[in-house]
Amino acid sequence: MAVIQDVHGHGHDHPTGIMRWLTTTNHKDIGTLYLCFSLVMLFVGGFLAMGIRAELFMPGIQILEPEVFNSFTTLHGLIMVFGAVMPAWVGFANWQVPLMIGAPDMAFARLNNWSFWLLPVAALLLITSFFVPGGAAAGGWTFYPPLSTQGGMGTDMMLFAVHILGMSSIMGSINIITTILNMRAPGMTLMKMPMFVWTWLITAYLLVLVMPVLAGAVTMVLTDRNFGTSFFNAAGGGDPVMFQHIFWFFGHPEVYIMILPAFGVVSEIIPTFSRKPLFGYSSMVYATASIALLSCFVWAHHMFTAGMPVAGQLFFMYATMLIAVPTGVKVFNWTATMWRGSMTFEVPMLFSIGFIFLFVIGGFSGVVCAIVPVDIQVQDTYYVIAHFHYVLVSGALFALFAGAYYWLPKWTGHMYDESLGKWHFWLSMVFFNVAFFVQHFLGLAGMPRRIPDYALQFADFNMISSIGAFGFGLTQLLFVYIVIKCVRGGEKAADKTWEGATTLEWTHLPSPAPYHSFETPPVVK
Amino acid sequence: MGKENEKVTSALQNSDMEKASMYQVAEAVLFSFIGIRKKSDLEHDAAKIKPVQIIIGGLVGGVIFILSILSVVKLVTG
Repeated sequence: MAVIQDVHGHGHDHPTGIMRWLTTTNHKDIGTLYLCFSLVMLFVGGFLAMGIRAELFMPGIQILEPEVFNSFTTLHGLIMVFGAVMPAWVGFANWQVPLMIGAPDMAFARLNNWSFWLLPVAALLLITSFFVPGGAAAGGWTFYPPLSTQGGMGTDMMLFAVHILGMSSIMGSINIITTILNMRAPGMTLMKMPMFVWTWLITAYLLVLVMPVLAGAVTMVLTDRNFGTSFFNAAGGGDPVMFQHIFWFFGHPEVYIMILPAFGVVSEIIPTFSRKPLFGYSSMVYATASIALLSCFVWAHHMFTAGMPVAGQLFFMYATMLIAVPTGVKVFNWTATMWRGSMTFEVPMLFSIGFIFLFVIGGFSGVVCAIVPVDIQVQDTYYVIAHFHYVLVSGALFALFAGAYYWLPKWTGHMYDESLGKWHFWLSMVFFNVAFFVQHFLGLAGMPRRIPDYALQFADFNMISSIGAFGFGLTQLLFVYIVIKCVRGGEKAADKTWEGATTLEWTHLPSPAPYHSFETPPVVK
Repeated sequence: MGKENEKVTSALQNSDMEKASMYQVAEAVLFSFIGIRKKSDLEHDAAKIKPVQIIIGGLVGGVIFILSILSVVKLVTG
């Protein structure tokens, strides 16, 4: 504990109350802000999901007008991707990267504050767009033209919000890359970094690579809408399919941006609760890097039905299937880490194992979708909805829960309620599968996505799916309760809460981690 | 024991000074594409290969990867 200089506060004056949060440059404060923001947005996006599932509970139009339903699906996707999952991971990076590499803070502390405070502005634009004339954007979260060039003012607000969110992500990534490359404790070589830090380093490079591409696409749509250009307007010589290529060149790496930090968290938790070092650390680093690289060559598998030469379809099909190789290496390594380990099943471990189990199902259905003739059948059906919810909800979101339970004792100094946490896991696990597994059947039977009404043959599975979704949504209120309870008090957490933990935040810092940590860097051997 | 340590140190220093061959870079990149590598080989790579070499190697590997898929596609469609 010699490295801690200031456990209970700092000599400098710093504002209190709301000004503390508005002006903070402390990585822990900003991490907390990111996490709280993403939790709020999870519930906003969840509310929209509940609206969608309520409408789809029975055939016919009951609750939402078709236009509003379209806005709900569009904003649900955008808010969950850009408002919930991505900021949550940046929140984890803010809290954990400096603690895990032995740095006192992020490299650009003020930029960090600015990156965060852009988010509520974007969120406000997205949410208030529901109340402007014409309503919120309704062309799907992918905002393909011509739908996105035709919408009302709400579409402009959405595009502007995406721009702002992109800026925030780019700044956050630059900060993370600089922190990791320049501020590691003496002795911590790149190949000694914790896996979570590695996955974030690679994710940050992916973000810097693809976010400007999204910004380009958004700018072109904005000028098409407002300044008479015709980038995506066929009547003016433009090409709407070009938008799809540009969007998905961003969009596919974006999937990995959301899932790579999840791989990192799971790679921290599985060894801790198996009480063994991670099997094949270097393979994990290599696999992460190659997944990131491959993710840039597969974008057109999202648009097999948009029209492309057979050679193009085959290229993207083969490239997509090959991504399963490094991903399979990871799953093998996690399993091998658990093999003959002295395992215990605390909540973080449960969510991590749930992650592996369900993410593999999502991965398999991904390989199914990669096969061109199959994809042509299931394109834009509920099969695809089921696939990507298995990857993003039981993938990214489960890993976020795992990480939250894992580090809550370090963040708050208190243990969370273990039995409530287990309830949270099992209810989530059951309701998630009830909600989404049946959607595979709906998709294979031909139910299209983004429709408020459907043929009678789909009624039963939709009702089951809606019940599962309501259950899953309500279960997440339990998570909020557990977090609040843990922040307010509870059993005192030990400095090294988890017996098998080996990273710096557990071995060198007390619980809760002090406001300023590692002012003198630890030496890593 | 002391002598052995000296031997190891001097071997490491020598290997630091040696530049990795193109073959070694290619090997490291190819293994990274599959996502597996023996720990001893990795340490060997880390000691010998410079970051610039691995970045260039990775980019060249990426191009070769694309070209090889393209040639398979050509074979299948042609």
